Amino acid sequence: MMRCNSYLSKVCLGVGLLLAAQSVVADKPIFELIIRDHLFYPSELVIPAGQKIKLLITNEDTTPEEFESYELNREKVILGGKKTVIFIGPLKAGEYPFFGEFNMATAQGKIIAK
Amino acid sequence: MYKKLVGVLFVLVLLSVGFQVYADGSTIDKVYHPYVQLLEKELEYRVLYEQDSRKASDGKNRHKVGYGQALSDRFFAEVYLTGVDQPSRNFKIESYEAELKWQLTEQGEYDNDWGLLFELEKEKNKNIWEASTTLIALREWPNWIATGNISIIYEWGKDIDNEWETAFAGQLRYRFNERLEPGIEIYQAQDTQGIGPVVSGLWRIGRGKKLNWEFGAILGTDSDTADINWKFNLEYEFQ
Repeated sequence: MMRCNSYLSKVCLGVGLLLAAQSVVADKPIFELIIRDHLFYPSELVIPAGQKIKLLITNEDTTPEEFESYELNREKVILGGKKTVIFIGPLKAGEYPFFGEFNMATAQGKIIAK
Repeated sequence: MYKKLVGVLFVLVLLSVGFQVYADGSTIDKVYHPYVQLLEKELEYRVLYEQDSRKASDGKNRHKVGYGQALSDRFFAEVYLTGVDQPSRNFKIESYEAELKWQLTEQGEYDNDWGLLFELEKEKNKNIWEASTTLIALREWPNWIATGNISIIYEWGKDIDNEWETAFAGQLRYRFNERLEPGIEIYQAQDTQGIGPVVSGLWRIGRGKKLNWEFGAILGTDSDTADINWKFNLEYEFQ
């Protein structure tokens, strides 16, 4: 049952190197978004390009909302009256739309990386 | 804390791989991502059709149906029923399975995102049990996502020799648009060695409802793996 094969060892070595290279940027700039009446405030958020940021989202509504953006590759549910954190970037300069999955008709916005 | 925990688990994986043992049967299935969405529920169907030059295995197809739901913003549980249809015999239910996914890190917080998957499976008509722990690692670039699943598996029961095994599944995916993402998958285990193209996508079908699909053709690269393994997965996500 035991076979010699170096393939998995190489895979594990690769994962190990990724772990070793894991870096944590402690001082990410923090930006805030508020969900109120199924709208995002501000609806346009300017952030620095080329830098990872911490986005603090507060849902002031009583119902849950899902922050979602294919362009940012992020999706997260925020319960009513709760806060959450989403890490974004580093982004190239440009515009990245996002929306509220549960209230798509109104909850729309974009992040502008400059 | 998470880094330490992941480090310890990774050492365990590495030690197990040192024994160079692999999982029985085809492990071509699904490459898991590490994320859990709060409130999410899911109905899932997966099929794997084996096309092979050997008549005995040509036409074998495995069907898996599952139901899962998030227990919190970090844990997701799912149960499955697996049936197999082979040319030599009629379709029959083969096994039951339960799994628990644990999202270890916040998406994008570190260079890589990490998760763990615990699975327990019981063969329906045989005294064969299987328990596994899978380390899920994901790295994202602006348009590419690489995901790796490394599993430690233990099989036991009266109808099988108790043994430790390992398996690897990996995926590299290009984020073309949400409805169509091409990629490539690779599988490596005791009786499985294959690589091939996959395409996946997402349809939004209402408030908080999504249909995720994935289709792929994994080409066997050793004598144990079927020549072409056609896979199709469908997930209906709802809240």
